[in-house]
Amino acid sequence: MHTRKILAASGAVIMTLGLAACGGDDGGGGGGDTEGLLDGASITVGSKDFDEQLILGNISKLVLENAGADVTDQINTGGTDVARAALVNGEIDTYWEYNGTAWISFFQNTEPIADRIEQYEVVRDQDLEENDLHWLAPADFNNTYALAYQADAGDDLGNPETLSDLGDLIAEDPDLATLCVESEFSARDDGLPGMEATYGFEFPSDNVTVLDTAIVYSATAERDPCNFGEVFTSDGRVSALDLVVLEDDEGFFPLYNPSPVFTDEVYSEYGEELTEIFDPISAALTQEEMTALNERVSVDLEDPADVAEDWLSENDFL
Amino acid sequence: MSETAAAALGSGAAPVKVVHADRPTLLEWLGMPVFLAAVLGGTYFWVTSQELDTIEQRVLTREQLTSSTVEHLQLTAVSTLVVVLLAVPLGILLTRRIARPAVPVVLGVANIGQGIPSFGLLAVIFVAFGSLGFTPVVVGLVAYSLLPILRNTMVGLQQVDRSLIKASRGMGMSPLMVLLRVELPLAVPVMIAGLRTALIINVGTGALATFFGAGGLGYIVYNGITLNRETVLITGVVLISGLALLVDYLAGMAGRLLSPRGV
Repeated sequence: MHTRKILAASGAVIMTLGLAACGGDDGGGGGGDTEGLLDGASITVGSKDFDEQLILGNISKLVLENAGADVTDQINTGGTDVARAALVNGEIDTYWEYNGTAWISFFQNTEPIADRIEQYEVVRDQDLEENDLHWLAPADFNNTYALAYQADAGDDLGNPETLSDLGDLIAEDPDLATLCVESEFSARDDGLPGMEATYGFEFPSDNVTVLDTAIVYSATAERDPCNFGEVFTSDGRVSALDLVVLEDDEGFFPLYNPSPVFTDEVYSEYGEELTEIFDPISAALTQEEMTALNERVSVDLEDPADVAEDWLSENDFL
Repeated sequence: MSETAAAALGSGAAPVKVVHADRPTLLEWLGMPVFLAAVLGGTYFWVTSQELDTIEQRVLTREQLTSSTVEHLQLTAVSTLVVVLLAVPLGILLTRRIARPAVPVVLGVANIGQGIPSFGLLAVIFVAFGSLGFTPVVVGLVAYSLLPILRNTMVGLQQVDRSLIKASRGMGMSPLMVLLRVELPLAVPVMIAGLRTALIINVGTGALATFFGAGGLGYIVYNGITLNRETVLITGVVLISGLALLVDYLAGMAGRLLSPRGV
């Protein structure tokens, strides 16, 4: 059954790449040397409910299948809380979680740790100790907060380049300093309040509009009702809508690198194999790569499963 | 959205929950306010007894809770007022013989408003308006709560005994007088039931306003969910449900005072 799946998968890969027929001889086809590592394993893959997570979930699913595991697809499990609860209860065996989210939301801290390795290690150790959950190495890309504005608005706004420049704008022309944020950003220490404290300026409170995450992007692009918007750095809409991201010159926003997190049940048996499979993938998921993948799903509306499969094939992970 | 709504939506069936016109007893007057005070007070003491981290402190300030509650009340009040001003005259019009052919069309449109999931309806209105904030959200709430008041106004008027209307006409009253002095007073209990449904819909759906830049108590609830802060979530939920129970209570009491005796 595994062989058939792999044959089918490799067949699909070969067809996508438009190669001449020569596959099927070794049951592998598209490269990678992880086949058979997880023969006999049964793994349920979950994810959160936004585009980046759907891609990451499909990446997990495809590489696990490629390695011979029998994968149950629970991708798009729900929001952060739902996915986390499913993992803790063992309804799913893995999903990608961001170290900063675990730190702030699950472990109820308010101050992020600036160093990405240290932040990862603290979360990994605490989750292992308290919940028997295993964090593999984090992906290279960082999905954190940033403020951005529409490129065409640059001249009106004095072409700010950094968050410090934004302070000057607020001091000189507060009416232009309108900001759209999602609700959680307005309440988090690593969100608006902390940013304002670090940079020593404050948006006039009437100028801050709380919106749904997705609407912040279009509201910023249309400059209605705000010139500035809170965005995620790896979101594909940033480049697609021609938004200019302000540099965090004081280095305030924490790093949010996601890791595949596994339950003890799966990890205790296949820990080494999983590390071997996922570490190169996490390393290859750079900011540029992830942003491009996100853009294909969020902007071009491609199927996350296709996008994941293309990327894995191009990088010889399948 | 309970039996009232179900009855209001059911075609022609008389609503189940109709206000009785006899004077409320002391228990009925005081029961709900006392209950609400106990729940709100209990929540207040529970929250203040907790050690709040900076995130919780930031969301659960007096100013934040007050402004969110006021925004929520404004959304509810304005949208309910607009919907009453629209739906009651429309309902009266549709029960006149001359407008009979239009009934299925109007009810169909009102049904569409009610049938679309509330978040989707608000999103569609946001796209149609091309702007965000108070007005588009009020339009969404109006579209969403139009049906119960419209339907109950029509049912309320239709269930008035035909012989009473004939007798009134026989006594020399003009059609307008019959409407104002006989039909509408007799329809009030059913109409109030529709109003209560609309109010509860508006308080509940108003929680989505935070996604469209109109604030409200949804901000508290949504922060509680996304940041996984129980105190924040429970405070928001208690305030929204408290508000729903309060406006329902007030509308119910108003209905009793407005209803003619013996109906």
